Amino acid sequence: MDLSSFMDGLSLSLQPINIMWIIVGGFLGTIVGMLPGLGPATAVAVLIPVTFGMSPVSAIILMAAIYYGAMYGGSRSSILLNTPGDGSAIAATFDGYPMARKGQAGPALAISAVASFIGGTIAVIGFIFLAEPLANFALDFGPAEYFLLMLLTLSAIVVLSIGKMVKGFLAMMVGLALSTIGIDTQTGVYRFTMGIPQLSEGIDFLIVIIGVYAIGEVLYNLLNIDQMKKEKKKVGKVWFSKEQWKRSVWPILRSGPLGFVVGVLPGAGGSIASMIGYTTEKQISKRSDEFGEGAVEGLAAPESANNAASVGAMIPLLTMGIPGSGTTAVMLGALIMLGLRPGPLLFEQQPETAWALINSMFLGNIALVIINILLVGVLVKILDTPAKVLYPIIVLLAFIGTYTLSYSTVDFFLLLIFGFVGLMMKVLDFPIAPLVLALIVGSDMEQNFRMAVLSSGGNLGVFFSSGVSIALSILTLLSLTYPFIIRMIRKRKQHLNSKDQVYRSS
Amino acid sequence: MKAIKLGFPILLILFSIVFLIASLQLPKANLGNSNAPIYFPAGISVFMLLFGVIYLIQELRTLHEENGDIRQMLSGRTPKLIGITILFGLIYAFIFERVGFLLSTFLFLGGLLFVINGRKKWLVNVIVAVCFSFVSWYAFSQLLGVSLP
Repeated sequence: MDLSSFMDGLSLSLQPINIMWIIVGGFLGTIVGMLPGLGPATAVAVLIPVTFGMSPVSAIILMAAIYYGAMYGGSRSSILLNTPGDGSAIAATFDGYPMARKGQAGPALAISAVASFIGGTIAVIGFIFLAEPLANFALDFGPAEYFLLMLLTLSAIVVLSIGKMVKGFLAMMVGLALSTIGIDTQTGVYRFTMGIPQLSEGIDFLIVIIGVYAIGEVLYNLLNIDQMKKEKKKVGKVWFSKEQWKRSVWPILRSGPLGFVVGVLPGAGGSIASMIGYTTEKQISKRSDEFGEGAVEGLAAPESANNAASVGAMIPLLTMGIPGSGTTAVMLGALIMLGLRPGPLLFEQQPETAWALINSMFLGNIALVIINILLVGVLVKILDTPAKVLYPIIVLLAFIGTYTLSYSTVDFFLLLIFGFVGLMMKVLDFPIAPLVLALIVGSDMEQNFRMAVLSSGGNLGVFFSSGVSIALSILTLLSLTYPFIIRMIRKRKQHLNSKDQVYRSS
Repeated sequence: MKAIKLGFPILLILFSIVFLIASLQLPKANLGNSNAPIYFPAGISVFMLLFGVIYLIQELRTLHEENGDIRQMLSGRTPKLIGITILFGLIYAFIFERVGFLLSTFLFLGGLLFVINGRKKWLVNVIVAVCFSFVSWYAFSQLLGVSLP
C-alpha cells in the first residue's frame, strides 16, 4: 500500500463537501434501496444525474455512498415488509421479518445495520491491502489476457443465472450485438447505424441501463400496483440485547471475509454472498432449528456478507475495469462518463481518486450505520409513501437523467424501447445483468480480441501463450461446465442412494 | 399467453437472422484485414441463433406451464397502465423541447399520476406534480447547472 497516496485520498474524502456527499448519497441510496423492486443498480442509475457538474472524486464518492446506502436500504424493507429491495436482501427476510413480526423490528434493524457496518469495514480493510497489488498485476495484462478476463466475467455472470442459463446467454448475445453498433474504432467502418447519425458513436449504455433498470422496473411493478398493500410497522426500541449481540458477533465476523471473497469473484454478487453467509451459519449453528423463525444470527450473517461483497465487487471494477455485477456495471458507465477510466492505470495516474474512493467506503459505512440507526423512524415513514406516487416520479427522474446525458430528446425513444425490453425480460424471467455487462465490455472485448490476433499474426495460440491466459481459459471453461458437473454429481448421488434403498428393502 | 411465450423466442431468432445478414453485408475495411469488422458481429449472430433455437425448444416443452407475470401483464388495467406510461413518454419526448421543461414535466407527471394514482386523489396528484416539477427544475438547472429547455 502506498501510504502517501492513501493519506492524500483520506484527506480528499475528509473534505467537508465530500463528507456531505457521503451522507447525502447514503441517505438517498437508503431511500431508493428501501423501495421494493428497486435495488442498488436502479438507485445508482436513477441518481446518476445528481453527479453531473460535480468533480470526479465527489461524483464517485457520491455514487459509492448511493450503492452502499441502497444495500442497507434493501434490508430495511426486507425486515419491515418481507419485501427485499433487491436480490442481496432476500436472505434478510428469512429471519429479519419473523423478528419484526415478533415485535423485534427495532433490534432487527439495529443488528442488520451493525452487521452491515462490520462486514463492510472488514471488506474495506481487505480492499486496502489487495487493491494495489491487483492493479499492479493487471498492468502486465496484454490484449489476450484482457479478452479472456472479460470472457470469464461474462461467462461467470451467465452461469450464475442458475436455472436460466440459455436466457442468460441470449441476454449476453443481445448485449454484445448492441455493443457493435457505431464506428468500428480499428477500421473506421460504420456498423448497423442505419444512416442515423446519433448511432455513429454507438448506443449510450447509460440509456440502456436507465431504461432496463429504472423504466423496466417501474413498468414491471405496475403489474401488481393495485395489489400493493400499505403495511404500517411499529419499530419500537432501536437496539439489541446483550444476548442478541453475543449470538451475532461471530456470525458477523465469519461472514464478512466470506462475503468479501465472493464479492471479488466476477459475477458473484451480494445475493450469492448473503445466501452463502446464511447457509454456512445455519450449518454450523447449535440453534439451526431456530433459523427461519427469527434467529438473530440468521439475520446478522447475510447482512455482514452482502455488504462485504458490495465492497469486494469494487476491486475488479477499479483495478481492472471489469464490472462484476449489474450495479458495478452501472457505476463503470457513470465513471467513464465522468472521464475516469477504471483499470490498473487509475492507481498510477489518479491514485488520489482511487484512494479517496476507498477511504470514502469506510466513511460511508460509518455514515450509513448512523443514518440507519438514528433515522430508522424517518426512513420507515418513507415506506408509507404510496407506490402509485413514487413510480411516476421515478419514471420522470429516468427521463431527466437521460436528457442530461446528451441534451437530446431522441434518447427518450431509446429509453422507452429499452424500458419495454426491461419489462419483457423481467416478465419472461431473463437475467438483466448479462445484457448490461455485455453491452459495456463488448466493444473492448472485440477490440482486445482483434488486437491479440493481429499481434500474433492470426495465431489463436496467443490465448494460451502465458500462465495468466492459460489460467483464465481454464477458469472460463470451468465456470461454463460447473453447472453440468454439479448436476452429474447430484444425479450420481441420487442414483447411488436409490440403489442403496433398493438393496436395503430387499 | 402462448403467443408471448412463443413470440419472444421467434422474435429473437428473426433478430439474429437479420443481424447475421446485416453483418455479412457490412462494408469491407480499407485497413488491415478487410473482413475484420464482420467477424465479431457475425459470430455473435450465429451464437444468438443457436441459443434462440434452444430457447424456442425449451418454451415449446413448457408451453402449458402458467406464467403468472404474463397473465398479470395481460389482465385488469395493467396493459392500459403500461401502454399509457409509454404513450405519455412519447408525448413527453415530442413536447419537452417545444413547451419547455417546467410545463411539459408538469403535464407528464400530472398525467401519469392521474392515471396510476387515480382521479379521486386529484389534489395529491396536482400538488406532487407542481412541487416535483419545480423542485427537479431547481435542483437540476440551478443547483447542478444542467441546461434544461
